Amino acid sequence: MNKFRRAVMWVALALIILLLFLSVYGAFIGAARAKGFISRLPLVVYWITFTLLLITALVMFRRLVRVPGLLLIHLGCVFILAGAMWSSETGHKLQKKLFGIDKITTGQMIIFEGHSDNCVILEDLKQIKKLPFSVELDDLKQIKQLPFSVELKDFQIEYYKTAYLHIQTRDGQGWRIPVEIDTEFPLGSEFGTVKILKTFENFKITIEGGSKKIIDDPQPGSNPALEVQITSPEGQVTTRYVFERFGGHTRPEDKFALSYRRVISDYISRLRIIKDNKVAAEKDIEVNHPLSFGGYHFYQHSYDAEAGQYTVLMVVSNTGLAVVYAGYWMLCIGVIWHLWLRHIVARIKLKNK
Amino acid sequence: MEIKYTVQGLLIYATIIAYLSAFVTSLLRREKTGHILYLFGFAIAVFSFGYRWYHVRHVPLQNLFEVFLCLGMIYPVSLFCRRILRVGGYSADMLIGAIVLFPAGFVFNAEPQQLPPALQSWLFTPHVAVYMLSYIIMAKATFQAILQLAGKGPNPNENLLPPEQATYRIICIGFPLLTLGLVLGSYWGKKAWGDYWGWDPKELWSLASWLVYVGYFHFRYMFGKKHPRINSFWAVAGMAAIIITLLWVNLSRLFPGLHSYAT
Ligand code: HEM
Repeated sequence: MNKFRRAVMWVALALIILLLFLSVYGAFIGAARAKGFISRLPLVVYWITFTLLLITALVMFRRLVRVPGLLLIHLGCVFILAGAMWSSETGHKLQKKLFGIDKITTGQMIIFEGHSDNCVILEDLKQIKKLPFSVELDDLKQIKQLPFSVELKDFQIEYYKTAYLHIQTRDGQGWRIPVEIDTEFPLGSEFGTVKILKTFENFKITIEGGSKKIIDDPQPGSNPALEVQITSPEGQVTTRYVFERFGGHTRPEDKFALSYRRVISDYISRLRIIKDNKVAAEKDIEVNHPLSFGGYHFYQHSYDAEAGQYTVLMVVSNTGLAVVYAGYWMLCIGVIWHLWLRHIVARIKLKNK
Repeated sequence: MEIKYTVQGLLIYATIIAYLSAFVTSLLRREKTGHILYLFGFAIAVFSFGYRWYHVRHVPLQNLFEVFLCLGMIYPVSLFCRRILRVGGYSADMLIGAIVLFPAGFVFNAEPQQLPPALQSWLFTPHVAVYMLSYIIMAKATFQAILQLAGKGPNPNENLLPPEQATYRIICIGFPLLTLGLVLGSYWGKKAWGDYWGWDPKELWSLASWLVYVGYFHFRYMFGKKHPRINSFWAVAGMAAIIITLLWVNLSRLFPGLHSYAT
């Protein structure tokens, strides 16, 4: 290896080790701060240097071009780095300056059921204490509009069939009981037994003829609850209502606290894209199944936990993504070819000879 | 630490006992009996994994308990390394198998969990399975690196590679799997959360582990076998980073991150 090549390798090794330490540092400071950290100027210089060094190596080391696996691996890394830089916030700003392409990098949309909207909030909603519609939307300067609208036909939350009643005693003992009507569950000689008598989708108390009545209201709304019968070891029977949304208070004489938990299996937003007053696309999006339209991806991000009336979508520009994915393919095919298949093929050839 | 008085727990303990007996028998130079016990342990490990699968009704790779249960099925990797790669450490693998099953048997919570929406993806199984396979392979590489550092080599009549070369050869098998795990995870992150790289601690530690092996390859290309101890040190450092990726991020709760479902 001549001096220059050796120097390139030393720099490469130093940059790899530096990135290693930066990753560990990033892990210590948490995702939110790490995200900000990596787009600072020194880091931008780092990414560009790393990419240029890879290109230099491809030019200087003939084997990196001649050996297909090595070419795919190193060129793949160039693609990933270039694609990532192109798809970043800074990349988007650069594209606006150079080519006049004004695209939203990432943002969020809040859409109520039966409504459509094209406003994208550029701030992270989790960082905003008040919800945007409780302040005036105009107060949020960070809003941009999409050239089309997104309509939410319906938002749905699905639950696993099995829900659980959680029981926690004062000394930390706990049980998780699957919700099965009329099945008695023993909690040992100290606590007696519990039995779930009824489940409610929409628990309500009404007053009829001057007396209170508990009903499962068929009207729209949601207040999931359980009616639980507790039998103490002395044979005393009491009835309790346990709510999913509201943690009940424990009284001083209570030996344990009850809570009702259902596990969400899916969030589904039934979306329609409206462009020039026509439906241009339609998809029911779920976690892991985003909608792709007009250079953007739309993700199920959050929802109205109180009443299930609106959905929160994440909007992400697809600029640069194809380049990153091309890099991923090259890198994976490269390492598999170079470190596995090449040797298997050579062995087979040798055997045939 | 707690003992699991369940069928699942008993299966894990039976596997550990079989692996440890296989290890001791091999040390006593009763290779054939050792091999049979190892195979028997593997059969229980597979049954135990299948039992868990049946019990939770999804591929059991959701939490640390299930992941360590999977790592306990190390036998095919040992066989592949010995027969195809000419890499030893067969007896040590029995010990590795028992060690990885220990936390599943005594430490991690085995309560079945339902899959949250983010984990309901075809990418869940390949992403985690590929990582687990690469981890167990890298654990074997680390053992060879430790042998190199300790100045030990295989018996000359066993027709096995010396530890430095053996380490390289196993890392060459594990690295593509590690790369695939990283890339599949990134692709999945994009599908589920909209970002192919979220800079969360788990991602960053897995990147750090991957970079240690990238560093290893380039260092070894630059110096060959001139500094075998440093070569081995890279391999050991890689394993340390893998262990941190797998355990520390989940257990320490020091880092706020997206991968909290893996706790
Ligand atoms: C930063 C700049 C980099 C430079 C200058 C560089 C340079 C080189 C060179 C000169 C070789 C040896 C080729 C040969 O066998 O003749 C090599 C091998 C290799 N590089 Fe890189 N590389 C860089 C980054 C990377 C990265 C980011 C990866 C990540 C996957 C990578 C993966 C590999 C692999 C897997 C090998 C093969 C090792 C082996 O066959 O033992 N390189 N690299």
